[in-house]
Amino acid sequence: MHISSSDVVLLAHAGFGVTGCLAAVWVFAEALNAQPGNAVRLHRGALLVALCMCAAWICGGYWYVHFYPPERQLILQGPWPFAHNLFMEAKEHLFFCTAILALLLPIATREKLYSNPAARKLVLSIAGLIAITGLTVEGAGAVIDHGVKVALLEKAPKENR
Amino acid sequence: MDSGAASGSGRLTATTSSFALAAAITVLFNTALSCAKDASAPLKAFLKSLTDHDWTTQGLIDLALFIALGLVFTKTRIAESIDPGRLILGLIGAVAVAGIGLGLWFAFV
Repeated sequence: MHISSSDVVLLAHAGFGVTGCLAAVWVFAEALNAQPGNAVRLHRGALLVALCMCAAWICGGYWYVHFYPPERQLILQGPWPFAHNLFMEAKEHLFFCTAILALLLPIATREKLYSNPAARKLVLSIAGLIAITGLTVEGAGAVIDHGVKVALLEKAPKENR
Repeated sequence: MDSGAASGSGRLTATTSSFALAAAITVLFNTALSCAKDASAPLKAFLKSLTDHDWTTQGLIDLALFIALGLVFTKTRIAESIDPGRLILGLIGAVAVAGIGLGLWFAFV
């Protein structure tokens, strides 16, 4: 078995992204039931979202800059070129929106959500948007991965298929 | 900096409203820059020349813009006068424009 640093960085990127999305859903649920008793927990959840998305940004960025170019070539020569032209291009730019929202979330959760309906709506909106855009980006990652797979399968000798 | 009364009155504090407005503007700026650098090779090359990769530069510009706008809006208290409902709608609208806009751009342009 050989696990390269590229594999570790890529899986860490996806892992941090999923964890950030799950934490955003957690913050959403806490905000729905906002009360003085869960204010600290809610803020800690928001900090976890920001931390996970920053880690996903750093891991994903490092992998994209250093390890993605050969895979891009494979995808573009394979049967699913749109996995790069549409899904990777949209994903790599949409992720910035998720990351900015993740940085905004801990600022918004400093408000007293249990006594401030406007702040509660803002936190619900931010957490919901993070979950939606984050899961969209995760899904795009799966399509990109499959783009590499079908390209490699096409190159494989027919007797191995 | 932030008035305590703001929290109890259903208004957002200066810091929260400022960074929410900064986020909406940054999201729209990011969408415009993504399309612009895809359409303009010289712009993409310029961004690449700053950090060795245009994507890295774009991320750093987005981050710097978000923080700078947030701090400026907090200091000038411009965003505080915006109705929170409009601010939330603006943020949702900006993310919707980004998602749909980027998808359509890379699908058809």
